Amino acid sequence: MFGYHLRLGLKSLRRNPVLTALMIGAIGLGIGVCLTTLNVYSLVSGNPLAARDDVVYAVQMDGWDPNEGWDKDRPTLAPYELTFRDAQAVFESDIPDRKVIMRKGAFVLGSADEKSEAKPYIAVARLTTPDFFSMFAVPFKYGAGWDAEGERNAEPVIVLSEEANQKIFGGGNSVGKTVKLDDKEYKVLGVLAYWNPVPKFYDLNNGSLDDPEAVFIPYSRGELLEVVSAGNTNCWKPETIDSFREFLNSECVWIQSWVELRTPAKVEAFKSFLDGYVAEQKKLGRFPRPLNNKLSKVSEWLQLNQVVEKDNSVLLGISFMFLAVCLLNTVGLLLAKFSGKVAVVSLHRALGASRKLIFRQHLVEVSLIGVAGGLLGIGLGYLLLLALRQLYNSYEAVTRLDWSVGLMALGIALIAGILAGLYPTWRICRVEPAPYLKTQ
Amino acid sequence: MEIRPIISALLRNRTGAILVALQIAITLAVVTNALFIINQRLEKIGRPSGMDTDNILWVQSYGYRPDYNHRVTIDEDLALIRATPGVVAASAIRGIPLSGGGSSTSYKVSPEKSSPDVPGNYYEGDEQALDALGVKLVAGRRFSKDIIRYEDKPSSKMVPEIIVTRDMAKALFNTDEVVGKQVYDNLGQSATVVGVIDRMLGAWVDWDKLSQVVFHPLVESGPFVRYAVRAQPGRRDALIAELEKKLTESNPTRVISWVRPHDYYIERSYKPDRRMAVLLTVAIGLLVTMTTLGIVGLASFTVNARVKQIGTRRAVGARKVDILRYFMVENWILTTAGLAAGCILAYVLSYWLSTAYSLPMLKLSYLLIAVPCMWILGQLAVLVPARRGAAVAPAVATRTV
Repeated sequence: MFGYHLRLGLKSLRRNPVLTALMIGAIGLGIGVCLTTLNVYSLVSGNPLAARDDVVYAVQMDGWDPNEGWDKDRPTLAPYELTFRDAQAVFESDIPDRKVIMRKGAFVLGSADEKSEAKPYIAVARLTTPDFFSMFAVPFKYGAGWDAEGERNAEPVIVLSEEANQKIFGGGNSVGKTVKLDDKEYKVLGVLAYWNPVPKFYDLNNGSLDDPEAVFIPYSRGELLEVVSAGNTNCWKPETIDSFREFLNSECVWIQSWVELRTPAKVEAFKSFLDGYVAEQKKLGRFPRPLNNKLSKVSEWLQLNQVVEKDNSVLLGISFMFLAVCLLNTVGLLLAKFSGKVAVVSLHRALGASRKLIFRQHLVEVSLIGVAGGLLGIGLGYLLLLALRQLYNSYEAVTRLDWSVGLMALGIALIAGILAGLYPTWRICRVEPAPYLKTQ
Repeated sequence: MEIRPIISALLRNRTGAILVALQIAITLAVVTNALFIINQRLEKIGRPSGMDTDNILWVQSYGYRPDYNHRVTIDEDLALIRATPGVVAASAIRGIPLSGGGSSTSYKVSPEKSSPDVPGNYYEGDEQALDALGVKLVAGRRFSKDIIRYEDKPSSKMVPEIIVTRDMAKALFNTDEVVGKQVYDNLGQSATVVGVIDRMLGAWVDWDKLSQVVFHPLVESGPFVRYAVRAQPGRRDALIAELEKKLTESNPTRVISWVRPHDYYIERSYKPDRRMAVLLTVAIGLLVTMTTLGIVGLASFTVNARVKQIGTRRAVGARKVDILRYFMVENWILTTAGLAAGCILAYVLSYWLSTAYSLPMLKLSYLLIAVPCMWILGQLAVLVPARRGAAVAPAVATRTV
């Protein structure tokens, strides 16, 4: 029976090609636009570490200015970063299963081989403690990161991103080779596979669409070599800072800190550890604000950082209003089309077709329009995403077509098509055949 | 006029009419609000920067070899750049205005801790800093060469003199006659204001204190240094290539990371705003097209459905223009109903947007312009099907009876 409905539906659609094209076009356009904004929205608001969301936490402590909070519009918000000293305290706690303190620094990255043709270039490095790779599920192509001892000894070891490995060594397994950061040689311990989490959840301070760093080296190298920060540094306290040492001891916040806590008991234990630490520091005259420590899961962290720009929400809203207009349009067109079919339907009814049958017949027809519109929408959405590349700085990240969003769009299109068709279909089923047959 | 019969005909065939009115309502609401946002973004992008940004280029150098000498490199580089034909002025300035990266600190008018903090976006540069950026000095003087402090390492020591923008002067002292006055940093160290700049925008385009800018006579410690170079009109692009080559060859103890026009940064900073403006324009275009098609569709449908009725009217004496007018008036009533609903919807949407962006509500003038435009659009859309209706011959009325 479905095959019969399908055949009749296709026939009916072919009878009025302009109208059919208009309807499919309207749904397709609406879906295409929604798909595009949904795709961007889901990418910028997505959680790249969703699989570990229940165990990984960002750490915040509020040692900011007693007179004015970190964000005057959000009084309960603590700074996003920690001071060097407080980060050290987090790292020295043995409660977390894993812990990371980290920040950025800039270097000239080049090959250690004098004859290499690779030109030295300025690269941003992440200076991090070794759990970074396992905590954030960073994929390695070759080798691995450094261990606790390498960290303790501030060893000159390095992990290259896929891109840096390509630039310096032309790709391939370069584990064991050496590269130069500024004038110091580093031994390559690992090379990452392609890794570009969007948003860049682990350090949102320089933009959520920022690229990951080119290379990774032990955090302790920063203190040893007095590497200045290449990320955000925020200070509130009037204090004299005339040396790197004084900077490390200052109230400036510039270190990102994360912990992995696998059980609720550990979460509680770590919270009370933080509270105890701050209480102790308060006795020393630090942390002038009320106690305000916070542990946030990645999903909470993204919200706290207001990763989704308001523009994205507004565009999403507008595109759904556009879809509504497209659907209203389709309903109108369907009404027009079906009203032209009244005579045929009356004939079918007179020959014994039940209302249910007529209803099903027309539902199949509108579903066809929905599916065709959805497919058209996916194609259009894809083209729109390509066009969007002109408008974004880090286009690659934002304009990847997320297939789950594509499937969702197809679903929305089908539902939209059926919804749009429901009322016209219902109307045509209610036709009383007699008056129409009479005029024939 | 024939309004009553038109309304009763509309009410008889409500659904189609309501559908089109709803489309018009949504379209009006979205279009007015989108235009409002677009206008704000364009104003933001187009505001004067106070600098000669079209002719400025930036050079970044990073010393990485052990034998790198920061001070010597800067002196030699600046001498080389300034001697290059086509260069108006050049200065070592770390922060790039309108780039999204920079430094700000707070200033006070008294050393007292209780004195209010006035945030300022500060730039550190040498005696040519103002000329390299092409900002206009309206009072006082530039920094003299001998007071420029070249740092070996970062320090908290305040500079002896500063130059401020007019907006900064007003934020501090409520007046722009500030030359000779003392300004304090949050450690209580003082500096004398020696000059006032007419206008200049700082680093962050979304910051409301963007125009509060302060210059310090200082060149920061290495190994990074950036030079702002102002070229004679039309010479910038040629200079970019020339300077990159010359500077790279002149000193092997550092790398020239890049030489870029200032536009590169400005464009990047305003990209989200430009993107929003473009996308909203596209949305407006799509919505208006879709709604126009909807009006045409509905009108065609009603014309088709009423062929017999039109024939009858024509047969009993209605002229073509009467038929045409019937459909035009019908559309006008429909559009007006839609627009009335649209005005309410526009303010509902505007309320949502104003809370999302913390912006003022939609200005009435947008509706006052958009409503007549939609009326005209509706009339134009209905014209084609209406003319087809008017062309129905009176004989049709008799044919199938």
